[in-house]
Amino acid sequence: MKIQNPRSRAYKIFSIIVLVVLAILFLFPLYWIITGAFKPAVDIYNSKPVWWPTEWVTTNFQNLFKKRTAPLFSFFGLEGPVAPGAFRWLINSVFMAVMAMILTCITAAMAGYALAKKRFMGRALLFSLIVCAMALPKQVILIPLLKEMSALKLYDTLWAVIFPTVGWPFGVFLMKQFSEGIPGEILEATRIDGASEAKTFVTVVLPMVKPGIGALAIFTFINSWNDYFMQLVMLASGENYTISLGIATLQAETTIDKGLLMAGAALASIPIITVFLIFQKYFTQGITMGAVKG
Amino acid sequence: MKLKKVLALVLAMVMTIALVACGNKNDPAPSTPDPAPSTTPDENKAPDSEPAADPAGATEISLWVYPVGGWGDEAKVKELTDAFTAETNIAVKVEYLAYADGDDKVNAALSAGEAPDLILEGPERLVANWGANGHMVDLSDMLDDTDKSELIEAALTPCINAAGEMYEYPMCMTAHCMAINLDAFKEAGADQYVDLTTHTWSTENFFKAIDALYAHYGQTVAAVFCAGQGGDQGTRALVNNLYGGTYTNADHTAYTWDDPKNVQALTELRDAQGIDYDASLAGGDEITKFYQGVLKMAFCWNSAQQLNPNSANTGEGKTVTGEEIVYMNFPTPDGSPAELCGGIWGFGIFDSKDQARIDASKQFIKFMCDSAHTADAVAASTFFAARTAAEGTDLSKIFDSELLNEYASLMLPNLGDYYNVIKGWAAQRTEWWNMLQKIGAGEDVNASIATHMAAANAAAQ
Amino acid sequence: MAKQPQSKMSRALQRRENVAGYLFMLPSLIFFLGFVVIPMFICIGYSMTDATMHQKTATNFIFFENFITLFQDEVFLKGLWNTFIIVIVSVPAVCAFSLWVSSAIYKLNGPLLSAFRCIFYLPVVTGSVAVTVVWKWMYDNYTGILNSALTNMGILEKGINWLGDPKTALWCIILILFTTSVGQPIVLYVSALGNVDQTLVEAAQVDGATDLQVFWKVKWAQMMPTTLYILVITTINSFQCFALIQLLTQGGPNHATDTVMYYIYYTAFKLTEQAGHFGYANAMGVVLAIFIGLLSALQFKLAKEK
Repeated sequence: MKIQNPRSRAYKIFSIIVLVVLAILFLFPLYWIITGAFKPAVDIYNSKPVWWPTEWVTTNFQNLFKKRTAPLFSFFGLEGPVAPGAFRWLINSVFMAVMAMILTCITAAMAGYALAKKRFMGRALLFSLIVCAMALPKQVILIPLLKEMSALKLYDTLWAVIFPTVGWPFGVFLMKQFSEGIPGEILEATRIDGASEAKTFVTVVLPMVKPGIGALAIFTFINSWNDYFMQLVMLASGENYTISLGIATLQAETTIDKGLLMAGAALASIPIITVFLIFQKYFTQGITMGAVKG
Repeated sequence: MKLKKVLALVLAMVMTIALVACGNKNDPAPSTPDPAPSTTPDENKAPDSEPAADPAGATEISLWVYPVGGWGDEAKVKELTDAFTAETNIAVKVEYLAYADGDDKVNAALSAGEAPDLILEGPERLVANWGANGHMVDLSDMLDDTDKSELIEAALTPCINAAGEMYEYPMCMTAHCMAINLDAFKEAGADQYVDLTTHTWSTENFFKAIDALYAHYGQTVAAVFCAGQGGDQGTRALVNNLYGGTYTNADHTAYTWDDPKNVQALTELRDAQGIDYDASLAGGDEITKFYQGVLKMAFCWNSAQQLNPNSANTGEGKTVTGEEIVYMNFPTPDGSPAELCGGIWGFGIFDSKDQARIDASKQFIKFMCDSAHTADAVAASTFFAARTAAEGTDLSKIFDSELLNEYASLMLPNLGDYYNVIKGWAAQRTEWWNMLQKIGAGEDVNASIATHMAAANAAAQ
Repeated sequence: MAKQPQSKMSRALQRRENVAGYLFMLPSLIFFLGFVVIPMFICIGYSMTDATMHQKTATNFIFFENFITLFQDEVFLKGLWNTFIIVIVSVPAVCAFSLWVSSAIYKLNGPLLSAFRCIFYLPVVTGSVAVTVVWKWMYDNYTGILNSALTNMGILEKGINWLGDPKTALWCIILILFTTSVGQPIVLYVSALGNVDQTLVEAAQVDGATDLQVFWKVKWAQMMPTTLYILVITTINSFQCFALIQLLTQGGPNHATDTVMYYIYYTAFKLTEQAGHFGYANAMGVVLAIFIGLLSALQFKLAKEK
């Protein structure tokens, strides 16, 4: 391409070295989780860190599975077989994050389109409200939400965690920014062709904001998965725990069995990491095109 | 393209499983306290798999347990509740709390009006906190004269408030103590400072031992843990016993942390090289560090820990590497037995305003605390029974363990004043560990005590 | 459109826009109003009372008393300061770091690029609780790998009580927050750098611009929208550090890691004996909401100007 001067080559080598060191540091927690999950008790309780398990054992997982149990699923009074609680927590987490993701994407895509392209009354006011509430942490409305959920009979259900996530207006903001990019002429043309509003939205708008939906889906999924706070406050019974809450509860107990905790952490992270690695391309593509156009 | 299809398939599968798994989340949980008294609880319970054999009573109650010895162990608890269900047809849904965030969870549930029916913990929470604030049901009607004679006075008194309302029915008890790693003591030549027959030592010898250990190991050998409230009885007892200070005044109306004896203890603990005020450890962490052999003594100890250190099932009275653990009194100025903090655990009932559920809960308490099954319930906790006999069964000999019997004769008589029933106990806890953190961070001892004692006293008014 | 003369036609059109607009907004509005706006109003209402969680105490209306106490409460002010530090440190640090990493890796060949991208993204998908659990072990004062490694390498003479020392605790939290925040920005910057208009870059090079100049004058300008998006999501992320604090330090030592968000929770469910603790917690919520609302509005204003 072009001639590189020695200084820029030195910089390049330097940056590769730094990158490799950083990569090792970033990988380290995961390495520590996985090896920790398979270490025998003597390694776990060794007062000096053990870098590699002296022996690979599954005792930690066995302990974790024995520690708490819950029906694998429950469906209108029909209860699944009793299984290790961690499996139920994992299922709950997936349900919660997927549900929050889907609801957010649908509602935000519609609202974002309306805010960007419909000149309805009160639009400016609504939009400024949304902008102001965008970064609000949920702790602010902790007590009212708790009261509200109990009044709606949603306390101790996953919906109590899902609904506030869907209500969070960041998605609407993001989708509005994306919808701005839809050329007005196309919408006009569809309207002249006699398409209904709904049809216009589904056939014209949705395909055009697809990258935005991808970005939002990933953002919502991860945020919801990590929303330990709402889970802590809203979920009371073990069978409604999410995997994050379950592990955190195990950590809080007086017996501090690091091996068991690492097994839990491994169980919580490996499935989602696997999904991430398999669909890595889509993950990164989705966000990639998700850059706001202005 | 192919990948897309796989993705769609996986997503669809996940969704189906998830929907199936959580489809009933909209149903009001059977254990939900119903704010509308017009609906009978039975209607809610009808779809439950458990057939309603007792039409008059509730068919499911909920119980939240703190990890009181073996009562934190699901397998053990399930055996007990299954026995109860078999006898009464009342199902029990158990949730397991941790000390680190259990209070938060109960408080959140209370705020949502969805507290459990039953809870297992001690008077400092049941009587001094939730009871005093009007959340609990008075259980005094469960006591007859036989019960009063059978229940150990030290266990019963804290469960009843000044107005005679009883918010906890005691089940088991112990005396909290401390422990030393005897092998480490021997190696450092510090075993000369402890009396191994009476398990006592003097304050002077305690500090000598600390110095000897520090000289030998060159690192922190004991930690005044203060990351949170977990295990705070250990730090309280240590500070009070060192120079004979008190925690509250005699009638439990105000805190006396600024007692010069406490100030001296707190200062000397800070100045001792081998001791560290550690704001990264709570009681449970300290136990683990002691069990690992890092710390040479633990201030958060009791009979259940001695029986099964760190709940790790690696042998009675042994650290992970097999070193010998000896339980000890806290050091006192003259080396006499210490005033130990008591652990008195039992059940309380949250007021759901639903008589059927309250009655069912009382049945549960009777079953666990005063029946032929009490021996099993107490044995599960690995603590000592809070009464001498229950319905004719002698409870003093439920353990076939030399260690526990020795502990009962050596340590239980040393139970000190149970001051935990002072008003505002929950507020005091946060003040105490925050104060220790400040002292540990090098702030002036007197000033730190003054600030936090004032805040604690404000809550005690 | 609305500025046109109000003919009959345009009024009909306006009505149509209103109906369509609100129908599209409806699903989102139900959730937004129901679970954000209405609770916010209830929160404001609560903030002027001395409500508690207890049944035995009656609730009184006390106007702005909570707010007055609040600004004399040292712990709250410290929490406000810590919140500010977290945002002011982590947001620019995440942006700068991810920009540097992306510019260093975006020209690498395919597999290497995606390997790096994955590695930096891993802490995000590992989940904050799982990450926290392992970091807690790594930070451990006595048996943690960090102290052990640093003392063995001779960097430290004596281990540091990372989470137990008021001087280091907040930085430990920020470090974890940092590692779980850079994943997305790196992915975004890599693609933004890849999408930079090459003709402009070449034109600048022909004009004799240095690499650095090309970067700032051409590429940086084109990546502005991405940067703004990253600023917004990183700010949101920084406010989500509750799990780290609850699981690592519970606000300690000596309130060194208390944020306003954590202190609200702490007041609501831990300081239950404090008179009017629910009202007080809500008052904090209102103050925080005002600060954050202003911050978001400011960010958006800046975004619009660019």
